[in-house]
Amino acid sequence: MSKEKLNIPDYNTLFTEERYVQQRENKKQFEAPCSDQEKAEALAYSKSAEYMEKNFDRKAVVINPHKACQPLGSVMAALGFEKTLPFVHGSQGCNSYFRSHLSRHFKEPTPAVSSSMTEDAAVFGGMSNMIDGLQNAVALYKPEMVAVCTTCMAEVIGDDLTAFIGNARQKGAIAEDFPVTYANTPSFIGSHVTGYDAMIKSILNQLFDRSGLTAAPGTGEEGEKLNVLLGFEPYTGNFAEIRKILNAFDTKYTILGDHSGNYDSPATGEYEYYYGGTKLADVPKAANALGSLVLQKYTLKKTQEYISGTWKQQVSSLSTPLGVKATDKLLAAISELTGLPVPASLTEERGRVVDAYADSHPYLHGKRVALAGDPDLLLGLIGFCLEVGMEPVHILCSNGDVEFDGKKWKLEVEELLASSPYGSEATVYVGKDLWHLRSLLLNDPVDLAIGSSHVKFAAKDAGVPLVRVGFPIFDRHHMHRNPIIGYQGALNLLTLIVNIVLDQLDNNESGFGDLVR
Amino acid sequence: MEPIRKEEIDDQACGSLAPKSKPCPRPKPGEAAGGCSFDGAQITLLPIMDAAHLVHGPVACAGNSWESRGSLSSGPSLSQYGFATDLSNNDIIFGGEKKLKDSIDYIAGRFAPPAIFVYSTCVTALIGEDMDAVCKEASGRLGIPVVPVNSPGFVGSKNLGNRLAGDALLQYVIGTGEPELEASMGVNLIGEYNIAGEMWDIEKLMNQAGITLLSRITGDARYKEITWAHRAKANMVVCSRALLGLAKQMESKYGIPYFEGSFYGAKETTYSLRQMAFLLNDREMERRVDRLTEREENRLSHDLRPYRKILKGKKAVLYTGGVKSWSVISALKELGIQVVGVGTNKSSDEDVQRIADRVSDDTEYIPEGGASRIIKTVKERKADIMIAGGRNMYVAMKEQIPFVDINQERHKAYAGYEGLLRLAKELVDSMANPIWKLASSPAPWDKEGSYDR
Repeated sequence: MSKEKLNIPDYNTLFTEERYVQQRENKKQFEAPCSDQEKAEALAYSKSAEYMEKNFDRKAVVINPHKACQPLGSVMAALGFEKTLPFVHGSQGCNSYFRSHLSRHFKEPTPAVSSSMTEDAAVFGGMSNMIDGLQNAVALYKPEMVAVCTTCMAEVIGDDLTAFIGNARQKGAIAEDFPVTYANTPSFIGSHVTGYDAMIKSILNQLFDRSGLTAAPGTGEEGEKLNVLLGFEPYTGNFAEIRKILNAFDTKYTILGDHSGNYDSPATGEYEYYYGGTKLADVPKAANALGSLVLQKYTLKKTQEYISGTWKQQVSSLSTPLGVKATDKLLAAISELTGLPVPASLTEERGRVVDAYADSHPYLHGKRVALAGDPDLLLGLIGFCLEVGMEPVHILCSNGDVEFDGKKWKLEVEELLASSPYGSEATVYVGKDLWHLRSLLLNDPVDLAIGSSHVKFAAKDAGVPLVRVGFPIFDRHHMHRNPIIGYQGALNLLTLIVNIVLDQLDNNESGFGDLVR
Repeated sequence: MEPIRKEEIDDQACGSLAPKSKPCPRPKPGEAAGGCSFDGAQITLLPIMDAAHLVHGPVACAGNSWESRGSLSSGPSLSQYGFATDLSNNDIIFGGEKKLKDSIDYIAGRFAPPAIFVYSTCVTALIGEDMDAVCKEASGRLGIPVVPVNSPGFVGSKNLGNRLAGDALLQYVIGTGEPELEASMGVNLIGEYNIAGEMWDIEKLMNQAGITLLSRITGDARYKEITWAHRAKANMVVCSRALLGLAKQMESKYGIPYFEGSFYGAKETTYSLRQMAFLLNDREMERRVDRLTEREENRLSHDLRPYRKILKGKKAVLYTGGVKSWSVISALKELGIQVVGVGTNKSSDEDVQRIADRVSDDTEYIPEGGASRIIKTVKERKADIMIAGGRNMYVAMKEQIPFVDINQERHKAYAGYEGLLRLAKELVDSMANPIWKLASSPAPWDKEGSYDR
């Protein structure tokens, strides 16, 4: 680059320059804003206990929601299968949101199309959009399967997916034998995790039905295999980790829904639309596997019911296995399903993580933590906190609403908390938003918050450092590449958290530095 | 809600008030389409920073769109809060008007905003919520404007949403207030959204020329200043695809002349400032503008020298919408870059004409989106860089194509003279980064090279 280096600050700092500050001051005469004192008073009030009470009394209006909607989960589910194109049936903007949401999290392109319904469809129904859409999408993007999910619009006007797809076949828009799976996923019910579940179940169910096979678990070649389902998984690294663990066991397995290929493809100079994913032919065969291992039991509720009900298979289900104890349970489950012993390499790895825990524990002990996230992730995080001696204080689950089995989940969380003295301070908030969390952080302070990028504003207001875990993480790069499950994941989480604590100690110390840690 | 008549939409949709204007192109089913009208309406109005913006619909409509744009504020931040009525299954069946009323009341009581904008969504439009009535009633009772924005996602494209938001401003906001100061020399900026703080660079230039910026519609705006926009002496339309209709209607309703201009590139910036002074009909101001633009252009020309050396003869593919589709071409030309391909997906007929005026005959027009279509042009034309928005960025990375983000999520301001300098630096940096060399050379044990440019 040229010698004449130009210092061009990012906007985060650019507009703190004197001239811009001046410009802003000048504007005030037009704005007639309230005085700085009034502003300070209002801000102070919003941080008060009195306001917190009013905030929690709030019945109407959600402020700063912490969940996405069903079709977003469905799009992610569809991308877990080989050469499958997610097709969002409804008005077009939703699809655009999903694509940018997922792309901003993974820093990867998201192939997905929409049937782009407009007001004609609102009056006459979306059938012609579906038929044209399927025809165009298959011609343009050459998928081997299309996975249709619906938006609110299609659901409110009551579009009948079965009939529409049938008609599309009849009219020759798609071939008779071209697989199209579908799920009803309105946004006004559930959240991204329910939508993920609905689409996975639909794919398993429809591909199995089409195959004409019958379920006979534990038979033939498949009889030695294990099915593994990770759920709505924002970490591509978790797929690699579970593979590593299963390979260490030396067991055969099929991952049902593996979007890690799509969201971690190499820069080769040639972009293809589809990378990796579960082979379509493996899905019907999975019915004859020896059992299924589910790593997000609340997320995959309907899918589990389907597998145990229709495939008559043994299902072993856990919440996101974070931390040593949860990983122990994971290994026990694999061992039980496969009849294989836990390999020595994993036992050794466990020992190393326990050693790391021991090294770091003085800095984590008694740290008060706020947690926000999806149900299965939260269970994992709580477990992790308890085993390193951190105290969960506020636990907030935006999408644990009634439809989502809020009660059962809450009971399990409370049981887990009761199992350790470190859980005694915790309160669980189901269906609350991030504005509630802000009040909690301000009025009952904690040392750390753990959650997605969206938590950062509440955390900033309260002066609490945020450990970014979960979905979405927009404002940090590559977090999803490192696993958080398994022993390696426990080590990664530990590293992430303890170093934020140490950073804080360094930032807060005045004068003398301290290298002895 | 008030039914939106199809003719009405089509009329506004492509910017013309002529009775037989061409309808907006309908999105094609089965493609990876862009944003919807709801998105467009929010983009236009969210930069009114001190107002509250409440989404009437399922929570994800707010959740999906929340925190996704880099429209900056120089003060209030209420517009950055994600407010939603969170309709659930039962509300779809029994109606959500009560929830809407309660939400408006809560926001008015707790946040005391100067105004509340309420957005309809697919769901509330389809179940027939009478949003206008609820807003009107609340407005009367609470004593603050509560503005309904009837732009549900399904009525059409993002551009249409921009326009419907403009209609809401015309119907409910513009003309309802009076400026506190003498505003005989004021200009309104229409369709400028202060992405990465671009407005502030423009504002600085206008200040230096002595041109009063009366209302910002809507980058870094305050509600109140839009109420008196009808007192301006001239309107400048920055993004015509979005809000040309608003300027046209202000012309017919209030007799305010307008022009379409841009701040991308030195020439366009100079032209825009001159045009303002011309419409204000003030000789002294015209002289001031001339002095200012000459000084700035000279300085810029000096500062750009090292960049021009590097950028001269480079080829770019530009894929963006609205005003940027043509105005950035001028900016790139000033840097010595040739635009070999340009997207026209979100451009009006006038925009396309302006593109044609600025590119050479063999430039390729890319009418429809889809990453592969853009990439194809980059490869065939052996372009050195791709300039587009965030959704296409990661595809460019896969294809090892240097990339500059020009859309709403970027952190750099490219408007005005200083902006062009920033753009030049960004382009040079992006192409010069050593990663491209690394990426395009094969692994040492692999003889086949990848994409050869």
